[in-house]
Formats: sequence, structure tokens, C-alpha cells
Amino acid sequence: MTEEVAHNPACDADATTVLVVEDEVLIRLMIADALRAQGLHVVEASNGEEAMRVLQSALPVELLLTDIRMASELDGRALALAARVARPGLKLIVASSLEADDELAGLADAVFSKPYDLNAIVDRVKSLLAEAHHARQRR
Amino acid sequence: MPDSDVELVKPTDTILVVEDEVLIRLVIAQYLRDCGYRVIEAAHADEALLVLRKAELEIDVVFTDVEMPGSMDGFALAQWVRSHRPGIDVVMAGSVGRAVQAASDLCDAQNNVPKPYDPQNVHERIRRLLASRRPRKPDIDLQSALEQASSLGGSVQ
Repeated sequence: MTEEVAHNPACDADATTVLVVEDEVLIRLMIADALRAQGLHVVEASNGEEAMRVLQSALPVELLLTDIRMASELDGRALALAARVARPGLKLIVASSLEADDELAGLADAVFSKPYDLNAIVDRVKSLLAEAHHARQRR
Repeated sequence: MPDSDVELVKPTDTILVVEDEVLIRLVIAQYLRDCGYRVIEAAHADEALLVLRKAELEIDVVFTDVEMPGSMDGFALAQWVRSHRPGIDVVMAGSVGRAVQAASDLCDAQNNVPKPYDPQNVHERIRRLLASRRPRKPDIDLQSALEQASSLGGSVQ
């Protein structure tokens, strides 16, 4: 059997991967579906700990979209701080039902209020990924 | 109405993948998507129940791990599905090897879609992902990451 390299999960270095972290499964599904409809490869994590497992693995992730308030021990803020260190080049979007404070605003590339505005989030994800691609090409 | 187009579109079967190990779940889910299925991911049985109780989400197959933390394991979830959503098939996999084999069988059932890659690659991919984080100690890693982050100006509550 000839392997289709483009489809081989072991060689998907070209796929743009977005990590979506949200502990409400139906909301996570809605966001992930909207991003997949744009052709993005979406990895889903149901809490901060799962997200860290993904970020500590060899999986390439270009953008992290996380809810701030999560029931898990590692909430979105702690995840965002840890992700900045674990993956310095990562684009970071946080969603919060509260007003974003200075720390969050300084940490994230974009902050969205909840409930999610799907179209706005999809647009922002695409523009941040485009920025990242341009930055890489300039290097 | 583009009637002819409607006839050409084959309704996509939906698989609900229930697996508490994220690095296994993401590979199995992606493999099934590449095989042409719509895949919904649940990290444990409670999430699966939230999905299964949404009548508007049509599910054809529940693909579940056997051992899971939380209020229900795979057996209990299968029982729930049999009594509440009897039209849904349940596939249970108790090990990574079996999960890959079961996913591969589901892939074979999608007759008109070519299998994207060998199940052995799926297994290998899971193995490497799980191994890639092993040398690090996650708790210590996370702690030092948080400390570094704080020293960079952030504060951790």
C-alpha cells in the first residue's frame, strides 16, 4: 500500500493545529466544528490538565484557545501562563465571562468575552495564524 | 432545489468517541475523521451523556474506552446507551491496540472512502505521543513553568 503522506498522522507537520480547551462539551464541540469547517486541524481538551498533556507532547500546536474559568485544578489563566513558557511561539486566545484584567490582556494575543461570538473567534484565529505564518516566512 | 445534488450527498455517520486519555483520543478521533466520519469527542462518560441527551445531535456509534474515571465506566455507559438510545451501536475497546483495531474496522465499513493510512501508523503515532512527554515530569514541569511565568511578570493566584 502506498502511503498518502499528506494524510499520514505521523507526518502532519504541515497541518495547522489549534488546541481548543473548554470544559463544557457542547460548547467545545461548537467551537471545534466551526474551526474544522475552516480546514483547521483541531485538538480538543476538556480541561487544563489535558491541554498541558498536549502541549508537553510532540504534537505541533500553533494556537491555543482556552476558556479562563474551568472546573479543573489548572484553570485557563494558569494554563495560559504555563503555555507561554512551554511553547513560546504559541498564539494565545482566552475567553472570559468577566472583564479581562491587565494580566490577561498582556498575556493573550486576543481576549474574547463569553458567550462566544463564533464568527469573531473564527476570524481572529485565522488572522493570528496568518500572522504566525508570515513571521515564520520572514525568518 | 438542486435535487440531484441532494441525492449525491451521502449522510455522514457520526461517531461519539469517549476516551479519557487525551493523547489517545485525539489520534483515534482524527483517524476516524480522515476515514470520512463526523466525530464528536467526549473526555469521560458524563460528557458523553450530555451529548447523547441532545436529541438533535444524531449519533450512530458510541466508541468508548472501558476504564474511565468518573461516575460511569465504559460498561455502564454501554448499558445506558442500550436502554436509552437503543438505535446506537456501541464499540468498546479496553486497550490502545483494540481501540486502533476497532477504529480500523469502522474505517473498513466506510466502503466508498479509501482508508487514509495503515492502522499500524495510528498505533505508532499514539505510542510516540505518549512517549514524547514521558522524560519530563509533568508536575515539576508545570511548577517550574508557573514559576518562570511569574518571574516574567505574571502572577499566579
